[in-house]
Amino acid sequence: MRLSIVNAIYRKEMLDLIRDRRTMISMVVVPVLLIPLLLNVSTRLMSRMEENAEQEAKSMAVAVKATTPALRQALEKAQIQIVERDDLKDAVLNKTVAAGVEEIPGTPVEVEIYVDNSNRTSSAAAARVRTALDDLKDEKVRESLQNSGIPASVLTPFVVKRTNIAGARKMAGMAWGSILGYLLLLMMFTGGMYPIIDMTAGEKERKTMEALLASPASRMEIVLGKNFAAMTAILITAILTLASLTYSLKSSKMHSKTPEVEEMMRTIPLDAHTLTQIAVTLVPLAMFAASLMFAIALFARSYKEGQSYLMPLLMVVIFPALMGGLSGTQMTPALCLIPIFNASQMIRGILLGEATMANFAITTVANLAYAAIAFVIATRQFENENVLFRS
Amino acid sequence: MIQVSGLSKTFSGSRLAVDNVSFEVQAGEVFGLLGPNGAGKTTTLRMLATLLKPSSGTAALNGFEITRQPEKVREQIGFLSGDMGLYGRLTPLEILDFFGKLNGIEATRRASRIQSLLNMLDMQSFAQVRTDKLSTGMKQKTAIARTLLNDPPVLILDEPTSGLDVPTARTIETAIVDAKKAGKSVLYSTHVMEEAEYLCDRIAVISGGKLKMTGTMEELRAATGKQRLREIFLDLLGMEE
Repeated sequence: MRLSIVNAIYRKEMLDLIRDRRTMISMVVVPVLLIPLLLNVSTRLMSRMEENAEQEAKSMAVAVKATTPALRQALEKAQIQIVERDDLKDAVLNKTVAAGVEEIPGTPVEVEIYVDNSNRTSSAAAARVRTALDDLKDEKVRESLQNSGIPASVLTPFVVKRTNIAGARKMAGMAWGSILGYLLLLMMFTGGMYPIIDMTAGEKERKTMEALLASPASRMEIVLGKNFAAMTAILITAILTLASLTYSLKSSKMHSKTPEVEEMMRTIPLDAHTLTQIAVTLVPLAMFAASLMFAIALFARSYKEGQSYLMPLLMVVIFPALMGGLSGTQMTPALCLIPIFNASQMIRGILLGEATMANFAITTVANLAYAAIAFVIATRQFENENVLFRS
Repeated sequence: MIQVSGLSKTFSGSRLAVDNVSFEVQAGEVFGLLGPNGAGKTTTLRMLATLLKPSSGTAALNGFEITRQPEKVREQIGFLSGDMGLYGRLTPLEILDFFGKLNGIEATRRASRIQSLLNMLDMQSFAQVRTDKLSTGMKQKTAIARTLLNDPPVLILDEPTSGLDVPTARTIETAIVDAKKAGKSVLYSTHVMEEAEYLCDRIAVISGGKLKMTGTMEELRAATGKQRLREIFLDLLGMEE
């Protein structure tokens, strides 16, 4: 093994990657520009939609079919505009009214609210109607108690209070951990995909592979040099994704209704210790991803074929990456052995401050082992002339 | 020097691409391997360049055996194919520097060798232009410079003039003549008869993976009774013109 040859191949691949438009788009443009843009646009859009729904719910009328005057008065008191309609359900579905309220006589009297839950305005209006009717109900109960000489305090024999002791940092870890691991892992595989196809199937397609194979470099040296370049591309994508997500979340308003949630999203736990732990988790995974994608893409004869081989792998990555970020899964040594899931789960654990040293070690060692296995497979593939000269 | 003895190659599906091929190429000799498409020329050259492993038989290049010392063999050869195989996003200078490093040429010597090749092949004007922006002739000069970079004693050229215009093909022919004068063993596959007749000291005709005949032009003429290489070639393939 000659390190000077590995280094020469690594530097050449990096130079080639930097000058490749497709690689730069997947490695730099997507994490730096597209992710913050999508995040910003989607949060603004959702916030705008919620605001619009609230406004419309206030301005749109509610159809009422009721004989009890108190019911109408309660709605009017809540500044809900009332109209008459024969068919309440039809009116709600046709969006001529935001919601419908029908009084059904009997003992007890039933008041039914008709709502179209697929429509935000209808949901918001139904919520306003519900609050007004609950207030009326409470008032009626208090009146009855008062008439019977019973104090209103019987309604509240004790008060239940719920206090979240997690703190803003931990809450941020929870909210962050569910998406950060998933996004990071997905972006790492996406960021590595194009460079790896370029240096394997792309090199076959452009007929540059023969000259490289006919050089004095050994197969192992070529695979190592190319894998280091692929790993670098993957890690650059991960770093840029992390930096860009952090920056856009910290700098942009989350348009949250509550200052607590806004504060939570701003308290992203990314101190030096947390970042180091995340980096240690990601490096073996980047090695694994590079070798795995290299071994698969090498089998392809062209860039296009390489894409169709690696796209299904992205689908395979999405599921465990998403599952690993879900709360409620207790990390066990056995779960730490599942590739991709373990890294996603570990990132969540690190952000929550709950990752144990044992699980961290198992995850790291397991991913290093998978990386070694994938590297051996990639090297064997590269030594297989049926793969290299497949026609 | 190239020594090939009983070289065979069977691909998966038991397709016999090269069948018991033997020949020798001396130092300072240009040896032409002629054959129709699919005759086994490229497979033979790829085995000698250690890109493919032979199913049986053996070959030695400058004393190094192809299956036992493949990396040593690759240090002895300059390999060029008609596809050229140049990195489009790199400049000729960067490509030469890269292959110089792969050949283990020390930095100062590498820089001086590259400069001498750039001058020799008149490449200075485009040495720092990305290869994908170059004309076919410029690309071919770059490929030749890469092949000659480590001053190898053996040149393996697989249809190097395929698809090239006459002036560009001429550059290759000149490089082959110069290599011969410098005492290199040149193994050269082509199906351009005039080129082979003009350049080669000895010619082997290969068809269906088998060597049909090997010899100088005079020996081939004597054996077939034909004068022009084109007629000899067709005769050996059993196709009268």
